Parts: sequence; C-alpha cells; structure tokens
Amino acid sequence: MNHYKRFGMTLAILLLLMLVVIPLFFIFLTSIFPNGSLNLAAPLRIFIDNDLRETFFNTILLGVLVVGGTTLFALPLAWILAKTALRKHEWLDVLIMIPFMTPPYIGSMGWILFMQPKGYFEQFIPSSSKLSPYFFNLLGMVLIMSLHMLPLLYLILRNALLQVSGSIEDAAFIHGGKAFYVFRRIVLPLLFSSYAMGALLIFVKSISEFGAPATFGRRIGYYVITTEIQKYTSSWPIDFSKATSLATVLLSTCLIFWYVSSLISRKFTYNTISGKGSEGKIYVLKRWQTWLAWIYIIALLAIAIGVPYFSILVASIMKLRGGGLVWQNFTLIHYEKLLAWGSESMEALMNSLSLSLIVATICVIIGTVFALAIQKSRTWPQRIIDLFSLLPNTVPGIVMVVGLIIVWDAPWMPIPLYNTYGMVVLTYVIFFLPYTVQYVKANYSQIDESLFQAGRVLGGKMFYVLRRIILPLLLPSLLAGWMMTFTISIRELVGALMILPPAMQTSATYIYSQFEQGDLSLGMAMAVISVGLTIVMLLGINKISSKRKWSIE
Amino acid sequence: MTLLNKRLKKRLIMVMALVASISIISCGTIPKPAPATAEVTLSGKLTVYSAGPNDLATNIQKGFEKKTGVQVEMFQGTTGKILARLEAEKAKPVADVVVLASLPSAQGLMKSGMTLPYKEAKNADKLFPQWSDQDGNYYSYSLSALGIAYNTKLVTNPPKDWTDLTKPEWKDQINIPDPALSGSAADFATGYLSVKGDSGWDLFKQLKSNGVLMAGANQEALDPVITGAKSMVIASVDYMTYQAKAKGEPVDLIYPAEGTVISPRPALITKTSNNVENAKAFMDYLLSDEVQKMVADAYLLPGRSDVKVQGRPSASEIPTLKVNSDWMIANQKSVIQKFTDIFKK
Repeated sequence: MNHYKRFGMTLAILLLLMLVVIPLFFIFLTSIFPNGSLNLAAPLRIFIDNDLRETFFNTILLGVLVVGGTTLFALPLAWILAKTALRKHEWLDVLIMIPFMTPPYIGSMGWILFMQPKGYFEQFIPSSSKLSPYFFNLLGMVLIMSLHMLPLLYLILRNALLQVSGSIEDAAFIHGGKAFYVFRRIVLPLLFSSYAMGALLIFVKSISEFGAPATFGRRIGYYVITTEIQKYTSSWPIDFSKATSLATVLLSTCLIFWYVSSLISRKFTYNTISGKGSEGKIYVLKRWQTWLAWIYIIALLAIAIGVPYFSILVASIMKLRGGGLVWQNFTLIHYEKLLAWGSESMEALMNSLSLSLIVATICVIIGTVFALAIQKSRTWPQRIIDLFSLLPNTVPGIVMVVGLIIVWDAPWMPIPLYNTYGMVVLTYVIFFLPYTVQYVKANYSQIDESLFQAGRVLGGKMFYVLRRIILPLLLPSLLAGWMMTFTISIRELVGALMILPPAMQTSATYIYSQFEQGDLSLGMAMAVISVGLTIVMLLGINKISSKRKWSIE
Repeated sequence: MTLLNKRLKKRLIMVMALVASISIISCGTIPKPAPATAEVTLSGKLTVYSAGPNDLATNIQKGFEKKTGVQVEMFQGTTGKILARLEAEKAKPVADVVVLASLPSAQGLMKSGMTLPYKEAKNADKLFPQWSDQDGNYYSYSLSALGIAYNTKLVTNPPKDWTDLTKPEWKDQINIPDPALSGSAADFATGYLSVKGDSGWDLFKQLKSNGVLMAGANQEALDPVITGAKSMVIASVDYMTYQAKAKGEPVDLIYPAEGTVISPRPALITKTSNNVENAKAFMDYLLSDEVQKMVADAYLLPGRSDVKVQGRPSASEIPTLKVNSDWMIANQKSVIQKFTDIFKK
C-alpha cells in the first residue's frame, strides 16, 4: 500500500509540475529572451518604457482603490450582519453573494448602459445626466469592481467578527469603554489579521481582473496589465515578448503579495477561539438605528444587484437600441433568435454547458485524489502538492493562459493538443482544480481519523474504507465543488478568449463578441440566461452546504 | 532495493503508456488533412478565418456547406484578431482560407509568401481590378466605405467633411474604432495618411484634443451612437450603420465630400492549406452570384462591378481619396502603432 501511496504522490507532483509550474516557468523564460538572446533585465524594461510603466502604475492604483472601496462597503455590512439582531436573516447571505457571481464584463456593461448619456438612468430621471461625467472615469470603474468584490471581504470580515468573543467586548465595557472606543481598541485590532488577508486577496484579484477593465476601462481609456497582455497576444501586431514581460511582472507582484499576506496572518493572529462556548456579543439597536441598518443593506443591494441586472434585462428585451424605455419597444425576439435550434448562439451555449460538465467532473475526480493525497499536509511532498494545486488560484488567469499557450503551442511539443477541444478542457481543469481541492481538503480535515481506523480494524481493505467511509462523508463537498466548478466554467472569459479552437465559441465569448462586433441585445439575452443558470447553481450550493453542517456535526 | 526499483520502473512504464494513450485519444479530435479529392466531389473539412459581419459569414458558411457538403470550421473575429492568430500559429498553421477586412493586411500576407495564388477563380474577371491581385493571391469579394455615422436625434446638421469634426461643438461627442482591432479603421488611417503625408497626423491629433475616444471594434464604437451616448463615429463602416438604420435605429451616415477610403474585404487561400480543392471551391463560391447577393443584402458593397446595389451609392459613386497602396502596405504597422499612441494618451 505504501508503494501505491508513494507512487501516487510522485505522479501527482509530476503532473502538477508539467501542467502548472512549467508553463509559468516558460513565461519567465520567454520574457528574459526577448529577441532570442538572454537579457535578464528584459522584464524590468516595463519600468523604462513610458507606456508600459503607466500601465503598471494604473494597475496598482486600481488595486489600491478597489481595496479602499470594498472596505468602505463591506465593513459596515459585516458589522451589521455579525453584531446586531439583523444577523438572523441568513437569506441575506445568498443575495450578497450574487454580485460576486455576476461576471464582471457583464456587470460593467450593465453599468455602462445605465449611466451613459441618454442611458436608462437618465431616461428615468433626466436631471441625473449631470452625474454621468463623474461616473465615466476611474472612480466609476472602482465602484463597479468594489461592488463585485464586496461579498469576498464581507464574508471574511463577518466570520472574523463572529469569532470575536462577546466576553472580551464585555470586559472592555465593564472597564468603562465607550462603544466607539471598544470598536477601535478591541474589535479593530482583532480584525486586523483577517482584514489584511482579505484586503490582499481583493488587491490581487483586482489587479488580475480582466473583464471589467476590458469593457469599462476601454470606455474611459484606462489600460491595465491584463488588458495589455491580451492586446499584445491577440490583436495585430502581436508582441509576445512584451506580453510575457508584463505577465512576469504581474505574476511576481501577485506572488509577493500572497507572501506578505501569509506573513501577516502568521504574525497578527490572536487566539479568539478559546473553546469555551462564547456567543458573540449582540448590540441592541434602537428603532431608528435598525431602520438605518436596513436602509444601508437595501441601498447597497439595490446598487450592487439592482442596477446591473436591470440594465442587462432591459437591454435584452429592447427592440430598438435607440428606441428608449417605452412599452412598445419591448420584445422577446432576441431570446427567440438566441435559443433557435442550430443557431450560432445555441451552439455556444451548448458548448459552454458540455464543457462545464466535463471540466467539473474531471476536477472533482482529480481534485479529490489530490486532496486525499495532501491530507493534513504534514510531509513535504504533501505540502508541495498543496502549494502547486492551489497555485492556479493565486496566479492571474491571463498569465496562466499565456504560459499554457507558450508550452502547448511550442514547436517541440509532441502532444498535439493545442487548438483542440482537449486543450480547452485542460486549461479549465488547471484553472478550477483549486476549488475542489480546497473544498474536499476542508471537509476531509473535519473527519476524525478514528473513523478510518475503525474501518480498518474491523477488517476493511483500503478501497473498502474509501468507498464506504471516506467518500460518503466527502459527498457534500464533492457536490459543492462540482457545482462551483460548473458555475465558474460557464462564465470563464479570458481563458476561453485566448485558448478556444478557431471554430468554437462559448456563451462567454459569444457575449463578448456581441459587445465588440455583433448585436448587443443578443449578447445581453445570453447574459441573462447564463447568469440565471449561475444563480440557480448558487442556490443549490447554498442548500448543500447548509445540509452539510447538519450531516457532519 | 533493486526489486523495488524494478517494480517502480514497471509502474512508471505503465503510467507512461496510459498518458500516451490518453493523448492519442485526445488527438482524435484534430482535423486530419483530407486526401486530395477530385474536383467534382468535394468532401472533408475547410478551416476559414473570417472577419465580420457575423451574420454574413455564417450565411456564407451554411450556403457553402449545403452546396458542397464540405464541413466548414469557422473562426470569426476582427481583422486584428485574425492576423494575431495567424502569426501565433505560424509554426502550426490551421487556416485554409482567410477573409480580412483590410487590403494592406492581405497584401502583407502575400508579400511574406503566405498566400496560394488561384488565378482561375470563376468570375474573378468581374471584380473591381484595383482591389484584387492579378495573379489571384487575393480577391476582394466585398467592400465597405468609411464614413461619418451620426445619431439623427442628436445631430440635425451633419458635418460635411473630416475636419468638421475637430470643431468645439463636437467636443467629447465622437468615437473612433481602434485600428488595432478594426481592419477598416486601419485602412482609413493609413489611406488618409498616404494622401496627406505627415501633415495628415494633424487631423488625428486635433481629433484627440477634441475628445475623440478610441472605442474598440466597430460595433463598440457605433453602439453608443445608436443609444445616444455619443453623437458620431468617425471612420465608421457604412454597412453596420445602414443595417442599424434599416432596423429603425436613429442613425445615418455621410461620405465626406473630400473623399473617403474604401476598405475592401479580401479573401485568400493560405499556402499551408491542406484542403486546397475545398479552399478553391470556397473562393469560387465567394465570387458567385449567390454570395454577391448576400453581400448586398448585408449592406456591404459587392466586390463584383456587375452586381448593383439599391437605395445607396455603389462603389463607383462614392467620393474616394487617391490612396497610395504601396505606402499603405509599407507603413500599416507603424501607423497603427503611432495612432494608438496618440489616442491612448
């Protein structure tokens, strides 16, 4: 059995090396051989070239501002839903997740249609036209991206707040601290580690984001590294060495920030879970304060969900784009065209669905194997598998794709996978493997080892234990992982844009190409359908994970 | 120890065999080069990279499939994306036929030896001679003229000439398509500069200081004008505007009196094609009456001079600039570069 294990470990590491690490290494290699000769400083020339330097600073500025914006929105929300009576409304959590599940390129387009001159907002309230110029600049993009990232930081902060034991706060109050003083001196410092991790996560996600800058950024002439990489690799004249330089810099930035984040979490983590049963303190709000809290939540959700979804929906049913918001101008013809059997759009949708199905299934199988190999990452091979299999989640999607293209399109590559369906599957699997690994790993670590030992003591063979004990217990997380992978595969844009074989489209690339070249209404109708699917899936995941609590505890 | 090693080796070999078989299975999806077939009965596949408009490309694909039974794999993208794809795939070319929306780009491909001449194409003699190659390296099966598209609700007194757009009344009201994506916008910029010389850049610089925004591909530039967010598109492709107008959208288009650039849409067969017979049949099909009618119905200008359009000026009636095509080919790349530098600032 040990042979199997060692052998499996070696195989897993080799596979991850080949699929994840080598492509990233090749980006670096390509960037330091700009014209076929070694130049170690080549990636650094982006700091010399004016345009590239501006792109870099644009990217960093965007990341910083989005962190600020997200904090501004998420902190009050997290406090309200962790520390007041409002926290019993668990259904709010599902609603709050929706902005994060909305693909940013679709959300941005919704915002553009809403806010642009003669847009939907202005058609409701003509005097709002004065707002438009203030929206179409960097701050508008920060707003859109902050609302998209909001759920992430909210979840992190709320969980951290829930863990701050009520007795600590009570102690402060007893010693005469005022509410704000307690918040400043007790709660904030205890939150710091979680917040820092969350903020860094938001930062890294923002600078890796492609969809919002590609749709909104282009509108306002704001260019960032991801959009420039895409430009240099897929519009003429292409410049692979510039693209790889940018990719190297983006990759290094992300890795540095992940490292900092792990340092912070190690240094500033306090023991907030003492084992003594501690209910978090609940602040009793006055009536007007409760009202204020509700208004805040509703206003936030109206902006984060209401605005983009209203625009998408309306744009998908408008007969004439220039016809305005009047009843006579509404029609379902776009849906009819979109869902016509054998149409280009239907094919794209089917491609997306079948691809997501295949990818989700493969990810669950491989992810489970990896997660079981990692166990509690005690030995160094386990730690390596852990690190490598989560790497694609750390690395910006566009960087990963560039690496994969370099390796699989290389003249020396003996496996002719590039430009085939298989290549798309491979790319997606690499992209989304971390999700299942994380889900299963978390679940596995909750299962007490005595259960396996009991199985073995009673004479169960390894596969018997796996089949009858481990897998049934892991089932909820396998399902959640499967659905999560399915959902994000449907909306994946940048990987699809760059790696799809010539004759293939997915719903995401279909939407994107309708924005660029085709009929925007059709694109929006497709957006409604794929986002609808996403929300159904999200509700499913929510249901499963709430059941999971019940079945394991 | 050695026993263990042997076992390990055995297992490794098994795994390698497994990996190999998996990769062989996945290879099954790759189009195999079809054997050269007789001219009468065509079969197999054809890979076409085609610039928009999407509906036209799809109709042509379906029409050709129906007529010949050849299965067409079509990649639709902007000219910029197609060129990028061709360049990226240089080591392992895939495309058999390439349809672009920019003449200098096709000529560039010809000069770098990537085209396969097909002199005997049917109806080639009826094409406008100035936009097709005599040796049959490329044929411009359709054309579009660039104009100024405007929102009829917002612009009651449309401009007459390119330079009118630099007036302060249009500040921040105008879009221009990105020539790195839109082949026709690239043709406009290079064509205009080939006539005006270096002083031509003044127009673009003035446009930039008048708040003209470079707004992605053609549709991205035009859509805000349809919805009224912007007033005009400079260097807008005419067919897209006419299409929207026919639907009832509040847009129209003028061709400046000074003259404009006609952007031909050349089709070519790649030298690396594995399906030459199919590709030739496709080229014949593009020049056939059937497709030429589809072209006119899509509000493009037919590439054949004997096919007339109704209700709008035909290619010979549109005022054009006397462009220098040699200069255009030689300078396309640098013009795009400088153009985007100006508009990105």
